[in-house]
Amino acid sequence: MMTAESTPTRLVPVRPLSAVTLAVTTFVGIGAFVWPLLARPGQVGSTAAHQTDAPWLLVVLLPLLVVTILGEMTAGRLDAKAVALLGVLAAVGTALRIPTGGVAGLELVFFVFLPGGRVFGRGFGFVLGATTIFASALVVGGIGPWLPFQMFGAGWVGFGAGCLPKARGWRELVMLGSYGVVAGLAYGVALDLWFWPFTSVDTTFAFVPGEPLSENLSRFWAFHLSTALGFDLMRGVSMVMLMAILGRPTLAALRRASRRGRFDAAPLLVNSPD
Amino acid sequence: MLGLAAAAARTTNLIVLVLTALVVIVVATACRIHGPLGRSVILFTKIAIGVVIFRLVLQAIFGLRLGERVLFRLPALTLPEFMAGITVGGPVTLESMMAGLNQGVRLGVILICFGAVNSVSSPARLLRSLPGVLYEMGVASTIALTTAPQAVMSASQIAEARRLRGRPTRGAAGLRGIAIPVLEGALDRSIRLAAALDTRGYGRTRDDVAPNRQRTASVALIGGLIMLSIGVYGVFDTAAPVGLAIGGLTAGAVACGASVIVGHRTHRRTRHRPIRWDRRATLVAFSGAGALAASILTEAIEPGALDPSTFPLVAPTLPIIMAAGLALALAPLFVAPRFDDIEPDDARAAGLDIAESAATLSVSSGGDVR
Amino acid sequence: MTILELDNVTVTYEGSDRPALANVSLRIEEGEWLLVSAPTGAGKSTLLGLCNGLVPHFTGGNMSGTVTVAGRSTEQCPPRNLADVVGWVGQDPASGFVTDAVEDELAFVMEELATPPATMRRRIEETLDLMGIAELRNRPLSTLSGGEAQRVAIASVLCASPKVLLLDEPTSALDPAGADDVLAALGRLVHDVGLTVIMSEHRLERVIHLVDRIALIDRGQVTASMPDEALAIAPHVPPVIELGRLAGWSPLPRSVRDARRVAAPLISRLADAATPPAGPPPHTNDSPRYPVRASRSPAASGHIAVTGISLAHGRRTVVERVSFEVGGGGGGGGGGEVLALMGRNGAGKTTILRAVAGLTTPSAGRLRIGNLDPAAIDGPTRIRSIGFVPQDPTLLLYSSTVAEECRAADRDGGLDAGTTASVLEELAADGTIDANRHPRDLSAGQQLQVALAVVLAPAPTALLLDEPTRGLDHGVKDRLASLLRHRATNHGVAILLATHDVEFAATVADRVVLLGHREVTAAGPAAEVLSQSTVFAPQVARILSPLPVLTVAAIRRTLGRIETNRS
Repeated sequence: MMTAESTPTRLVPVRPLSAVTLAVTTFVGIGAFVWPLLARPGQVGSTAAHQTDAPWLLVVLLPLLVVTILGEMTAGRLDAKAVALLGVLAAVGTALRIPTGGVAGLELVFFVFLPGGRVFGRGFGFVLGATTIFASALVVGGIGPWLPFQMFGAGWVGFGAGCLPKARGWRELVMLGSYGVVAGLAYGVALDLWFWPFTSVDTTFAFVPGEPLSENLSRFWAFHLSTALGFDLMRGVSMVMLMAILGRPTLAALRRASRRGRFDAAPLLVNSPD
Repeated sequence: MLGLAAAAARTTNLIVLVLTALVVIVVATACRIHGPLGRSVILFTKIAIGVVIFRLVLQAIFGLRLGERVLFRLPALTLPEFMAGITVGGPVTLESMMAGLNQGVRLGVILICFGAVNSVSSPARLLRSLPGVLYEMGVASTIALTTAPQAVMSASQIAEARRLRGRPTRGAAGLRGIAIPVLEGALDRSIRLAAALDTRGYGRTRDDVAPNRQRTASVALIGGLIMLSIGVYGVFDTAAPVGLAIGGLTAGAVACGASVIVGHRTHRRTRHRPIRWDRRATLVAFSGAGALAASILTEAIEPGALDPSTFPLVAPTLPIIMAAGLALALAPLFVAPRFDDIEPDDARAAGLDIAESAATLSVSSGGDVR
Repeated sequence: MTILELDNVTVTYEGSDRPALANVSLRIEEGEWLLVSAPTGAGKSTLLGLCNGLVPHFTGGNMSGTVTVAGRSTEQCPPRNLADVVGWVGQDPASGFVTDAVEDELAFVMEELATPPATMRRRIEETLDLMGIAELRNRPLSTLSGGEAQRVAIASVLCASPKVLLLDEPTSALDPAGADDVLAALGRLVHDVGLTVIMSEHRLERVIHLVDRIALIDRGQVTASMPDEALAIAPHVPPVIELGRLAGWSPLPRSVRDARRVAAPLISRLADAATPPAGPPPHTNDSPRYPVRASRSPAASGHIAVTGISLAHGRRTVVERVSFEVGGGGGGGGGGEVLALMGRNGAGKTTILRAVAGLTTPSAGRLRIGNLDPAAIDGPTRIRSIGFVPQDPTLLLYSSTVAEECRAADRDGGLDAGTTASVLEELAADGTIDANRHPRDLSAGQQLQVALAVVLAPAPTALLLDEPTRGLDHGVKDRLASLLRHRATNHGVAILLATHDVEFAATVADRVVLLGHREVTAAGPAAEVLSQSTVFAPQVARILSPLPVLTVAAIRRTLGRIETNRS
């Protein structure tokens, strides 16, 4: 019988190779986001004529990376219970996305990854994030170049939720809630970073290649603060509200399902003496 | 479709962009799939219009103050140092607005292209064309697609039951009282689903997978990762040649992909109806290739035609080659039959899917009488 | 040849001190049709799960002894490795669908088994014909009716060409027509294809003339025997056996056809009786007493009056110009009656019930409960005047323990603390329900009892039940029937019941309304309507047709009356 404080179920164990793959693909992914700040003149993408080529290179690259990391983590490793749970929780996330809809609204959906990653481990959290975004994109019609970025970002949000330290009761809720707010803001910054070179041409906060990092960074901050921060704050607020209202019963329901599903079912077979 | 998106991304020529948008909308509307997803292109067009307006506003407030023909003036404001000391507001010029318009329309057209992609691809078909390494994800996604409408339906049934007991269906208590039972019902369902999957052979391990293959795959993966890292380093390091970056990134990505696809330790599976790329589907998917080719060609022959400058303001013209490329993109309209004309059985044979589980979202949630 | 053998198997689940099944030894021959009968929770699902490895690989627990299927031992083989010899269909087939169209569902198991595509195509065609679902090939799974879904689920495991088929309550949720389709298909499988079928079923009357052996489970012990022996010791027998015992027929006929051959003397004897057999038994003093509370319902009485209503789902008309009335006597006195609303799945029973409960408004016509319009009353008034138990009782339950559920119900209805809990205790007379359990962990019967307690605690004057007997065993059904009769006769509650369980309606209903093709096709006293219907006649009525008798109890009373008249 599992005790209340026993180790959490790890539905998708993260092997060393998976961890390395995850790290490298994330490194590349982050590179995909921050290259405008760091690129120097004479490099790929730094001349005005090819300004839009480098992002496209990474846009083409990233789906391949997503396939790699997801394949590495799930291929042959998800048993029936894990895949059913994954599908069902992704369904809940999809159902949440239908009213808030479309390309933008992801606030409610993020809420599903946090308890999911917390109760079932960080590997599962990552895969849950990616799968939910993918499945909901199919239903809501959100397929686009942003999809691999979203999948990656959501995956990391789920992964992080599984890395949080032990806690119970209201402390757990506060921890998850603050993590949710921080993750949401970070996600917003990352997405904006990607968006920034496209939209800011010919404006006063266009990125200028070759300028020192601090200059470009402050330009970016100006852009971010004026455009997207409002959405991100709204996302953070709604996350806090959801966690306060639904946090505890959701965690309880998931833990109960974990016990009832007996994911650690190791049957004891004793043969009667002949 | 994607070819058209790429072509649109390479130009800021307003005429070309608008024409591209029209072509995309026409083709998508003619070739769209059943159900609410078919209307994605319309939805995305509306979003695109919003994006254009937003961009114009942004340009008006924050744009570069170049050009001579002043349209109107906004009150000027200097931002503090930590926000780069930019001057906000001031005179808004026609050139500046035109620049903003071009940028906004480009973004908008790209969005419309992706809306079209959503309009013509059916989720079921997409899921079946996932690579074998993502099979588990595909199963999970299919489960998600079929369970999501049920979750929505059970939410409305639970809301009704709450009303019967005189409990609130709005506000915090209402949200909790509806969302948690829906979650619990879904979790219960997942166990039954898992039993059904298990008893139907899901997850059988292959006994005869060669250990060599596994090892090769791991080595390839690690090698690919190393090459990727080199590539990224090449992007950022000033002294490194450009080729290092591009080469490293591409080679690394290819190696990673190959390793995962080749070496996955899943069991042998067969496909009942493999995705058949018939003429129609191919046409719709690659209709934009001609436009992309035309775009590259135009750039080579008439540099600058696709990028009319705004400071000083120059009226955009339509290069002939681009026009031809866009006309080519209309090919699916004439060659392929309209979706509505296809009989259900023929449609199945043509590789399209009738089963639109997303369409059941619109089925009355008043509960089936069963 | 023995296809399945259980050798001294004992299964104990985690956290339980008693074994679920103990020392089970069973041999099943190839081509046999075995019925497993037991009350809920006694271990039917465990026994079925043992046969394909779900127990213990999927469910966990301790197992001793061996189970061998087609030469393979379940000790080494988890269910997925047995998929080519054993097919299993769980209790709710719709929740086991993993794809979105019928054909893909059928292909799934073969894809997992790496069957060559040509073989896959051939098997799909054959299975579609075998199960009679060829026209459903391209349909999305969410649009299937109950009977169709069950047949598709069976087809989906059949495509693997298994030797054994395990079915957990295949016909419990189906209307008579759907059940007939499924049983006919199973008959084809056993007789023409030579499959071994092991199924669990509560409604014995549908299946005992089809099966070869019956396995009874009692307190963890399993005994399998020929039908005659099993029926002699079974705690509950179908009406045809009861009637046979009452009339002294020997050998006991097991099907309606066999019974009709020997029923002629009984028919003439009953026909001679001057007074026609009465309807359901009047309430007798030895029925359990339920707490009597003066009804505080604002409605003067629970009398349900449905006049000429039309209801639609979106653009589709479901029912047109339906009228009926359910007598309700008002608080304290008698005078209530039980009306059974029957019809095939999809005829509109649930739609009408929901309209009477006030959840939807009819597009035409008038609805009244007492003197109130159900759609127009507010929450607190509603729960004191109308009680509605939906098809899925868990929709009403949303607390995390039973005790909390009872407390919430007390608060909602403004009742004294502990009222709901005491009603629940009376209902769950045999096994007390552990108050700390999560409602969703309870069995179907227990969930229904909790839902009934929640609904009945405020003592509403009108009670609506939608398919309450799904998944219930006979003990619980009998108690439910006597509860309903008690409430109607002694407390004047008007009870409207939507069901397709013919035997249940025969025991409990005063009057019956049959729905078909959007209208009322028959309405009147239960004895008349049910005995004259071909589809909805209970077994006794079919055997003794054209007499308007419905239950063996009614025959017993009539025979008793004949005796007293004679003496």
